[in-house]
Amino acid sequence: MKHRALFAILVVMAMIGVACSGDDDGSSEPTGTTGTSGEPVEITLWHGYGQPGEVNGVENYEADSMKALIDEFNATHESIVVKNVFCCSNDNALQKVTVALQGGQQPDITYQYGTSLPQLANAPGVMDLTERVQDEDFAWDDFFAGSREAGTVDGRVLGVPALIDNLAIVYNEDLFAEANLDVPSADWTWEDFRAAAKALTDPAKKQYGFAFPADASEDTVWHYDAMLWQAGGDILNEDNTEALFNSEAGVKALDTLRDMAVTDQSVYLDLQNSKLDDLFNTGHVGMLITGPWALSGYPDVNYGVQILPSFDGSNHETIAGPDMWVLFDNDEARANAAWEFVKWFTAAQQVETDSMTTGHLPTRQSVLDTTGFIEAFGKKFPGNDVFAENLANVKKARPVLASYDQISQAMGKAIVSVLLGESESQAALDDAANEVNGILAVPQ
Amino acid sequence: MGRFRRIMGSDHIAGWAFILPSVVLILLFGLFPIVWGFVLSLQKASLLNPVRPFIGLANYQAIPKDPLTRKAALNTVIYTMMFVPSSIVLALFVASALNRKIRLIRFYRLAVFIPVVASTIATGIMFLWLLDKEFGLANWALGTIGLGPFGFFADPSQALPSLVLMTVWGWLGFDTIVYLAALQGVPQELVEAAAMDGAGRWSTFRHVTLPLLSPATLLLVVWSTISALQLFDEVYFVTKGGPLDSTSVVVYRVFRLAFTSGVPAAGYAAAIAYVLFIVILLFTLAQFWLGNKVVHYQA
Repeated sequence: MKHRALFAILVVMAMIGVACSGDDDGSSEPTGTTGTSGEPVEITLWHGYGQPGEVNGVENYEADSMKALIDEFNATHESIVVKNVFCCSNDNALQKVTVALQGGQQPDITYQYGTSLPQLANAPGVMDLTERVQDEDFAWDDFFAGSREAGTVDGRVLGVPALIDNLAIVYNEDLFAEANLDVPSADWTWEDFRAAAKALTDPAKKQYGFAFPADASEDTVWHYDAMLWQAGGDILNEDNTEALFNSEAGVKALDTLRDMAVTDQSVYLDLQNSKLDDLFNTGHVGMLITGPWALSGYPDVNYGVQILPSFDGSNHETIAGPDMWVLFDNDEARANAAWEFVKWFTAAQQVETDSMTTGHLPTRQSVLDTTGFIEAFGKKFPGNDVFAENLANVKKARPVLASYDQISQAMGKAIVSVLLGESESQAALDDAANEVNGILAVPQ
Repeated sequence: MGRFRRIMGSDHIAGWAFILPSVVLILLFGLFPIVWGFVLSLQKASLLNPVRPFIGLANYQAIPKDPLTRKAALNTVIYTMMFVPSSIVLALFVASALNRKIRLIRFYRLAVFIPVVASTIATGIMFLWLLDKEFGLANWALGTIGLGPFGFFADPSQALPSLVLMTVWGWLGFDTIVYLAALQGVPQELVEAAAMDGAGRWSTFRHVTLPLLSPATLLLVVWSTISALQLFDEVYFVTKGGPLDSTSVVVYRVFRLAFTSGVPAAGYAAAIAYVLFIVILLFTLAQFWLGNKVVHYQA
């Protein structure tokens, strides 16, 4: 038995060995180190959009658009060849690059969550784009302020916005009609939201007014952040040295969620954050607060989109989750080529083309302001136009700190413990704030 | 010449030559990471930063002061104490039930083994829905006999037992197959002799079969303990350590620290992994030592 197991392990290891060495052969091909000999410079781009074409009967427009634009670039730029590589899901992009860096196999361009940037700030070879983005024809200021801020770590620009999202209400029109309720309006308050959630809840039909991602991850936390900012609070102080979320505003925001989840029992708490989209798509949930990426997951319901409610009747502030292109300096020629590609790829014209193919919100203000864009965009992607206009309600960015993930974990736990009815808002937030102050006290 | 030929011709060299590729792979993928991990555990290190100052044993000293790691360790111990006995007792029961000649026996054996080859992700998604507080079949079925509803993965106090339930189901087939093989190795004449001496079915099982199964039991106890202490996949895919860290286990904590925490905690994570390694080593040695006192029969 033992020997056989050992043998099996060895066989598997031998197979892994073969697979790995095969990989090495593939990636150690000459990758065009210089452009002087007339050979084009070859650079590699990693993204998480999957393979182009149909996947399980659904056309993958994101990957199609990626491929079409890269093909266009390669056709129009003779001295550069961009290799289009689907590396991994975006959730694993940081981990994948971390591993690649251990062996010096990092790509030239990689797609990363904005929140990963501070962690990449000290990575070997990560490109400081501060000077390059000042190129006049690049129009850096045309990107939304929140995403420029998220791309800047300690004054160094490390990321160019690749995608921008925000949160809004997505509601099931049929459930509102059945309950004889008015659908959410742009002047809703959280009181209106709570009342509608309560009215839409029917335990007999296993129907909930609202569903909330309660896995204590960053997804939980950024839902709360928007409400915290609306109530007049903030996550940290300006110097990022002290937690501020346990303020009166923080308690007000969390109490609003608790009143719905604990008092009214009108919230389906998705503790693994894996079911709420399916539940919404099967008509078990009246309202979600989510982003434009989720809309393609609701083919079976008539949904509408509305901006977030407010506390005071006027501040409908939301939160944006910008993703970034991060560049690695693998040698001068490749670094220049990588920048040239990113500059072209994130220029207004390409951004507009990509938006109209995929439904991605435009990353540039000038595209949003183009006459007729919003109408055409909303016509092709119903609901996405509301998200696009909602970008105007993005006012703040989350702290750009290497320890942000730990801060987020502490806040996530506080939020979930309150929503589960295990603790009171003030006490839970105070505990989390203490923990965060401890984290902030450690020099990075 | 003769001497060289004798050396080259000896079984010793031929043997080493045959296993050389494997030895190289083991050194490369086994020994090298083990040594590198130890070096890392003595550094203040982030995987993304090449500057890694040595800080001696500070990473190890930090472990007992870290409440999240303590909680993960406690969860791991509780999980192991629930998982190992329940999976082995259940497997023994199922294997005994399957160790007979009835119609469709091959189908039953196959059915028991299928969960082992099912992917953890598929198993995880299935159990998440099966054990859903509101929409799950489990609560519906229990409701019809007046029990529940249970929170399962949605309740911090029930999430760990739910995880045990899921993993026992997933690994039952493997344990069962091991027991089934051992059961078929039980000499029939011993069972018959016991019967002729007037032993009932239960006494035969208790005093003849069970002792003869002890090598298999030892193997399963050791193996299950090691895999329980290293639990990760199910936690990563299904519960992500939640709700409220109630299912956070040691390896999951190590993963979070090394890959997602954002602070230079890779060295600290390596230190935790090393402590786990030593604990598993000691556990295994203790079990074998104990086992040699109890196990008398060689399979």
